Amino acid sequence: MQPDNTPQTIKLIPASQFSIEQLTDIYNRTRVDYMVPMPMNAARLAEYVANYDVKLENSIVAASQDGELLGVIMLGVRHERAWITRLGVVPNTRRGGIGKALMQGLIDEAAKLSIDFCMLEVIKNNTPAHQLFLKFGFHEVGELLVLRRSPLNRQLDPVVADAERLERADALVLVGHDRGTQPWTNQSESLFNANEVSGLRLTLPDGSRGWLVYQRQKFLLTRFAYKTEAGDPAKVTYALLSHLHHQYPRLDTHVENIQVNDPHLPGFQEMGYIESFRRIEMWRGDPPADLNKFVRPR
Amino acid sequence: MIRILVVEDILDNLNLVRKALSKAGYEIFHAPDAETGLSMALDLVPDLILLDLGLPDYDGQTLAGWMREEPSLNDTPIIILTAWPEEAAREVVRSYRCDGYIIKPISRVSEFAAQVKSYLKAP
Repeated sequence: MQPDNTPQTIKLIPASQFSIEQLTDIYNRTRVDYMVPMPMNAARLAEYVANYDVKLENSIVAASQDGELLGVIMLGVRHERAWITRLGVVPNTRRGGIGKALMQGLIDEAAKLSIDFCMLEVIKNNTPAHQLFLKFGFHEVGELLVLRRSPLNRQLDPVVADAERLERADALVLVGHDRGTQPWTNQSESLFNANEVSGLRLTLPDGSRGWLVYQRQKFLLTRFAYKTEAGDPAKVTYALLSHLHHQYPRLDTHVENIQVNDPHLPGFQEMGYIESFRRIEMWRGDPPADLNKFVRPR
Repeated sequence: MIRILVVEDILDNLNLVRKALSKAGYEIFHAPDAETGLSMALDLVPDLILLDLGLPDYDGQTLAGWMREEPSLNDTPIIILTAWPEEAAREVVRSYRCDGYIIKPISRVSEFAAQVKSYLKAP
């Protein structure tokens, strides 16, 4: 007989009552059959929680009455905005209202914090999740690309430019400037919270100029923020990337959530970046007037 | 004995692979994440590496790129295991210079063993 996991019998428990190892385990179990499973270990999840300002006391684990863990959802909080992430339900318990209960629980948590505006991203073609978010009043605001560049691409000489390397403090000063509305993962706070952040700034002979800030992990370059201050964004991006990959020829590169209409995108493509998959960005509620406001972490 | 390193984080998947390949007479080594996978590959220099793309520390693509740059692993076939559509799997193979792919889920054990055998280099 199937266990009774109807919404009336599901217990919603603050995620802060679980260890990071337990949260990692339940998260991984919800993703085991995903086409893009993105499993994590405890260290990665802890980094994720810290980088993206996830509040575990407002995040939720769903459990059955007999204590079996069924699903998870997490809430990021920054100023007057919230982010819904890591929603997942264990495969053999899906279609029983657990996802709906988790979503309602999280929206209630945001409301307790007096936050009406929520953001999220959903992998394109994940129809059940997309439909669930629509039912909760989310609407689509754009399409995002996840890009990869293999370190095995042919190495090219850096474009001739006046280039300078930026240490963390100088890089973060640039990131804090207005870069328009960004998905949660790419907002300035995400870079401020990350380790091993540095940057590049360059000026081309024709006066075009811009900067790129990134995180360098052991095997990977990731978490890009960038801006063209003058000139053609694609040309400036290509030049910046040529210097970056010349500096780190052995590192793989993973760039998340670039808007499909980002004018910098042709520069990435010319440098050998390929599309890995797409996400849909969705919002619920009216964006606060200071959506792009960046509050420097203490 | 032919030695195969399986880099896979999901125990059920590993057990299926182990069952299929042990039955076919191969010696199986297991790494549950990318960093362990790299370390074991460098120590063992196996005859073939089966690499899951979804790993909990660095993903399989990052690991494949790193392995491909290691001179001691130049001759080791790297085969990715993925549930992605074939077109995406082919792109990973091309970009990260792997030697092939096997689409999951593994439904027929004998067919899987034959696929793996086809990627092994002749002695």
